[in-house]
Amino acid sequence: MPRLSCLFLLLCSSLALGAERWPSPQWPVQLADSTAAQALQAYAFPARDDRTRTGIRSDALLVVRDGVIVHEAYAGATEASTPHLIWSASKSLFACVLARAADQGLLRLDDPLARHYAPMQKHPQVRIRDVLNWASGLDWQEEYEFAPLRSSVVAMLYTRGRADMGAFAAGHPQLHAPGTHFRYSSGDSNLLAAMLRERLGERHADYPWQALFEPLGIRSATWERDASGSFIASSYVYLTARDLARIGLLMQRDGRWGEAQLLPADWVRFMRTPFVGEGVSPGGGVPGGHWWLNRTPAAQPRPWPDAPEDTFAALGHWGQGLYVMPSEGLVVVRYADDREPGFDANRLLALARAAYGRQAQP
Amino acid sequence: MKRLFKWLMLLTVLMLAVLVWRERVHLAAFPGIIGGFTAKEYCSCRYVARMPEDYCRGYVKQWLPATLADDPLARRVSATGLGVSRSAVWLGEREGCRLLTQEDRLASDR
Repeated sequence: MPRLSCLFLLLCSSLALGAERWPSPQWPVQLADSTAAQALQAYAFPARDDRTRTGIRSDALLVVRDGVIVHEAYAGATEASTPHLIWSASKSLFACVLARAADQGLLRLDDPLARHYAPMQKHPQVRIRDVLNWASGLDWQEEYEFAPLRSSVVAMLYTRGRADMGAFAAGHPQLHAPGTHFRYSSGDSNLLAAMLRERLGERHADYPWQALFEPLGIRSATWERDASGSFIASSYVYLTARDLARIGLLMQRDGRWGEAQLLPADWVRFMRTPFVGEGVSPGGGVPGGHWWLNRTPAAQPRPWPDAPEDTFAALGHWGQGLYVMPSEGLVVVRYADDREPGFDANRLLALARAAYGRQAQP
Repeated sequence: MKRLFKWLMLLTVLMLAVLVWRERVHLAAFPGIIGGFTAKEYCSCRYVARMPEDYCRGYVKQWLPATLADDPLARRVSATGLGVSRSAVWLGEREGCRLLTQEDRLASDR
């Protein structure tokens, strides 16, 4: 009789575990090959021309449904083991690192940056929440290779700002009142990074690993730093597609990893709440707290009309994307080397949803 | 007619001088972009993402030409574009590559 009840308990616990699956330590994999899955694959990976570098050039596509890998493909030189540059999707990861610091009582959303970081005493009103909304109000020029002369971001990464990117960003004049005006800025992200460096001191160099990567089982991460030692929060995280999907699953499950609530609930809510203020162009990206949202503050068209309203994303230069669709149970990672516009994220999400969402035909 | 032309020339030169003066900080930094971009991104492509050499040379190619020198033993990459040379060096698994600053270069020369 006791043996039977043991068996019963074992059965119950395995059913309970089966209800929610986690990549601990490895991702469970159940690949599908439906017609809809083939359509998704065909859209993401058209014939590739590495000489002209034209068209859609996906390097990786990974779809995770309810914690299980259901689609995985790589192209070009990228493989499952390649730590791929995620460019500005790094910003959203840095928001998660800050959320961990908040969980450990090191900082709060409403803190002025100046409390932790002296160079921001020039801008004493700017709070962490403003900067996470890309609404510091600093006069920043975010342009890439098409207008490099006056670009603040090119100067920060490659010339005048590279020694100390936080100080370089803090040196920009105040253009708008903090928290009133959205202006996408890589400088804002690196202000946060410099602030964290000052706040943590000695512990700083290993902090993203201790606080975020290791609890999630992420082993492939590189996070490059400037000469002052600050993480380049705006641009330089390298991860395998499988490891980036772990961040997606954490966010899909509201900042919880297994039994542990790693990110405070108010931070998760803030990251997914659309910024209300000036400067957000209708039909363009909707900024949340260092994440991009599909939920608009007013009755405006959604950036990805064919994806659920609760969709949010971490996005980077040349087509990098981590998309999370909680109501569909889906995480989508796309790595790419798109050198011209043409890739349509809405199309990708629609196809991923058709192949693997709640209504998908197996 | 000749005088008008002279005046126009003078005006153009003057306007150009004002423009150059106003943008002097940006203009002075500008030539460093190509070398900086090429050195940093090639270093990371090779030693962080561990991509093949050919791939990385293609990956960093921009609309302006640059020359590239890689020292695989030191994992140090130098690149020259618009006559300005920049270097990046691989520092470790977690830190990846860093574009060196003027101070770094003076320190390594000593």
